[in-house]
Parts: sequence; C-alpha cells; structure tokens
Amino acid sequence: MKPSCYDNVGKAVKRKCETTIAQKRDISLMDTGANTYLIRPNYKDKFKAGVAKECIGEILREQLYGVQYDPEEVPTLSRSLADSIKHKLKDMAFDRYKFIVQVVIGEQRGEGVKMAARCFWDADTDNYAQEIYMNDSLFCVAAAFAVYYY
Amino acid sequence: MDEDQSEETTFVVDEITTIIKETVETTIGNNSYQHEKINQWMSSIAELSLSQLTKLGKPFKYIVTCIILQKNGAGLHTASSCFWDNTTDGSCTVRWENKTIYCIVSVFGLAI
Repeated sequence: MKPSCYDNVGKAVKRKCETTIAQKRDISLMDTGANTYLIRPNYKDKFKAGVAKECIGEILREQLYGVQYDPEEVPTLSRSLADSIKHKLKDMAFDRYKFIVQVVIGEQRGEGVKMAARCFWDADTDNYAQEIYMNDSLFCVAAAFAVYYY
Repeated sequence: MDEDQSEETTFVVDEITTIIKETVETTIGNNSYQHEKINQWMSSIAELSLSQLTKLGKPFKYIVTCIILQKNGAGLHTASSCFWDNTTDGSCTVRWENKTIYCIVSVFGLAI
C-alpha cells in the first residue's frame, strides 16, 4: 500500500500576492486502468493541443468578459476556472491521459510579468496547450498539460 | 521490499522545495528587476531545476512552471487543478521574493 505522501497548503505571501493550489481527488482513471500494455496512444487518441487551446480560450472569454480585478473574488475565480477547464478536458475523452491545469490571474498595473514552463516527459505522447486573456483590469494565463499514463 | 519501493516512487515535497529554493537563490539572488535579464533568469531557473530533479533518478515525469513578477503593488493569483493518481503524483509550489521581484515556481511530478 503506497502511503499518501504530502500536504499542500496555500498561504498568503503578502496581502496582495497569493498563491493557492486546489487538488482534486480523482482516481477513477486509475481504477479503470487495467494494463493495456500500450506505450503510446493511437494517432487518433493523441492529445490534440489545437483543440484544447480553443476550448480553453472559450472558457476564459466566457468567464472573464467584463470582470474587474477584485482581491476578494479572484482566488475563487481562478480556482473555478481551473476546475472548469479540467472538466472540459475530461469531457473531451482523451483516454488514459492525466491533466494538470494551471491558471494565473493578475491585476493590470503595468508591472512586468513573465511565465515559463519546462517539462521532462515523453515528447511523443505528452503535450500542452496555453491561452492568454487580457482586459483592462486583469490578465489571465491558462496552461493545460496532458501526460499519458502508460 | 515494499518500503524501499514506496520511497523511490512517491513525490517528496521537502526535498524538492529545498532544491528549487537553492536554484532560485543562485540564479536571481539579490538582483533587482531588469527587463533584459528576465528571459535569461526564467530559462535558467526552469532548466536548472529540471536538471536537478532528473538527477534524483526517480521514475517521474516533471513539469516545472516559473512566474517572475515585478513588485509593483499589483495582485496575482495562481490556481491549479489536477486530474491524476493521488497516491503517487504530487505537486509543490515555492514562493520566493527579494526587494523588487516575486518568483513563484510550481513543480508537478507524475509517476510513470
């Protein structure tokens, strides 16, 4: 029996800069995961980055249109965005893929921001999609990573 | 035998936090925000962290994301939602700051 190994707690750094991580206890994927001995998905079943990017963009535009940056509401908003994007990706039925969705929402005040990601994975099977949305008072970056479960 | 196996294949948050903190410290240290250097700092933080993580030799795929933000009074929120196996996979986030820069590094580890 492998032990559950960690606790993740979100803390406030300063009153204006906060990071939270929401984890979902979803192991239904692994329950149905009897060994298929497939080391890569069929070409048809591969994670399609283009399609995912469009879905993410749609969700962002829908939920963030006309929204102002409000320090009280933004934590819940970013969590709910991450959850909706993850649900949408699950509905797109990419078989045997694990998903990680990261959403960053920041206030537009002319500050310099830079975000980068590096991944150590199997480039044949794994992929990512990202989308940026900006309006007058906030900017939002959403990145979704899909990793194949052998 | 089982004990040994579980040590090798679980995501150890503390070890990874230390590695990341060291990497950010060595890369940025006490420097202030400089627009021209940001690209270089970003790439080197992400790449150095990734290479240290892979040196651990565990059967994991890693995703490292790094956000560098100028201190300007603006607010920033990060959230992530993950669909994975809770017993073997994990994530950790390290927040680091100096007088002019905030740096947030998230590491996600997925067991093979």
